[in-house]
Amino acid sequence: MNQNAAIRTLLALYTALFLAFLYGPFVVMAIISFQQGPEGGPQFPIIEWSTFWYKHVLGFAPPSRVAPLPIGEALTRSLTLAFATMVVSTVLGTLTAQAFRSQFKGSGFVFYLVVLGMMVPGVLLGLGMALVADQFGIDRNWWSTAFVLHVVYTYPFAFLVMLAIFNRFDKSIEEAAWTLGVPPGRTFRKVTFPMIFPGVLSAMLFAFTLSYDEFPRTLFTGGREVTMPIAIYGTFAVEIHPNLFAFGVLTTLFSFALLTIYGVLMSMSVRRARLRATGLQEDVA
Amino acid sequence: MDGAAVDTRLASAAPSRDGSGFFRRHGHLLLLAPGVIWMVLFLIVPLAMMVYVSFWTQTTFAIKPDLTLKSWATFFASETYFGALLRTLRIWLTVLLLTFLFGYPTALYIGQFVRNKTVQTILLVACVIPFWTSFLIRVLAWRPMLGKEGAINIVLQGLGIIDHPIEVLLFTELSVIIGMVQIYVVFMVGPVAFMLARIDDSLFEAARDLGASPMTIFRKITFPLSLPGVVVGAIFVSVMVLGEFATASALSGRKVNLLGNIIVTQVGSLKWAFAAVIGVVLTVVMATVITALLRVVNLRREL
Repeated sequence: MNQNAAIRTLLALYTALFLAFLYGPFVVMAIISFQQGPEGGPQFPIIEWSTFWYKHVLGFAPPSRVAPLPIGEALTRSLTLAFATMVVSTVLGTLTAQAFRSQFKGSGFVFYLVVLGMMVPGVLLGLGMALVADQFGIDRNWWSTAFVLHVVYTYPFAFLVMLAIFNRFDKSIEEAAWTLGVPPGRTFRKVTFPMIFPGVLSAMLFAFTLSYDEFPRTLFTGGREVTMPIAIYGTFAVEIHPNLFAFGVLTTLFSFALLTIYGVLMSMSVRRARLRATGLQEDVA
Repeated sequence: MDGAAVDTRLASAAPSRDGSGFFRRHGHLLLLAPGVIWMVLFLIVPLAMMVYVSFWTQTTFAIKPDLTLKSWATFFASETYFGALLRTLRIWLTVLLLTFLFGYPTALYIGQFVRNKTVQTILLVACVIPFWTSFLIRVLAWRPMLGKEGAINIVLQGLGIIDHPIEVLLFTELSVIIGMVQIYVVFMVGPVAFMLARIDDSLFEAARDLGASPMTIFRKITFPLSLPGVVVGAIFVSVMVLGEFATASALSGRKVNLLGNIIVTQVGSLKWAFAAVIGVVLTVVMATVITALLRVVNLRREL
């Protein structure tokens, strides 16, 4: 028993170290984002603490030799793209998962076809799509060629999430509705959808964040108008400045906000489902 | 309200149910069609195009659909390109091994030693939080960490462990490996912890009652039962590392060129046929790796 306790302590210590390793670069990034500007570079030591690079990212800083990040256009494009990808891949994922609720021939083939979308490396898919576009004379744009690849990437995630949700779904509730003569459309709206809503939210969250941060697929297919990750990748070749780190801190905070909204919606949906359940019982009584 | 609406519809229910017979039988085709068509058009067609173009003739600025093996011959004859294949394989194996070695103890702790579900979730979420920062910025954040005047050297010098800064940390193959391990290790921790958490506690109790030592328990119970998780983690890590190019170009100062980096350069100089050859090579490597990993464990049976 003593031996067991020793192993437990050792593993706990190791896990703490492991987390430090995961968070190390993040902490360094946050520190350097407060570097003095515009002369201070993305390295230690901190010359003087300042919020210059945050102002720089948000466009309040006086013009300097460091070009501002294309927040206005690139970020809007990225968010638009992520939103469109989220809607389309969640709809596709839900439809496909709904089909998988009944047995059908060729289900194995369809399953692997869909899952392949998240397994193929982005650089290969981007290359393939760029070749197709090049040979058929299709213009490459973030809202066309890049968008369809984003869906190819996020739709499998939405599909798997919805599949897991439908697997745990009690079919008899829907059957009860059908037996009572509720038409399929109404059954979906009133019975099925409220029950799968938490799954739909998770699928949307997956799709949005994956698409927002996607970049190997977009690199070859996005055309001249860059999305945010491509704009950041563009700075790899030239010098990097702490404004990237300030932007990283800001987007992380933004993600947390998104996650909080997700959590609130999720708990609201759970509470509403509980209320509806008691309401239905009263109706029946 | 709802109850009343249902009542009025009850009468008209019977005929409409007969009419939906076709939908019942073939409805799944309608549901499947959008997704399958999308995947065929935008996943299968591009990949097929890539294989096809790899046999086209490359001229200076364009490609012509005259079939040839020239690009393939160039790939296997060139030291640079064939070397990149070997380098990609070497870095992939190193990263895979390290993610397993570094990730497994953490997964073991989270999945088996923490029995409180809330604490388990908190620890797993703590592992995932760094993913909320953009991938590229996370990669770049390793530069001030590893540089000659970076955080690691400052700390080590401050502690008096080293006199002179370690210079091999940045812009070498080592920095690429460090960066990749940190970014991808979580994909190993997650599946393994998940499998470990599913093991029934009574198994351990029975083993302990029968006098098995912790080491025997690990060798005979814990590890074999966590193997499906290791395989899933290994597939995740392999797929991502083999297709990588951003980490290599950011942390090696363009000195370490993986297959992905070469594709990017070739596309940049409009050498489409050549980029396609490398793409096909990468696909073959990846398919082999995944098939081999799936041989280790029958995932469909285990999950």
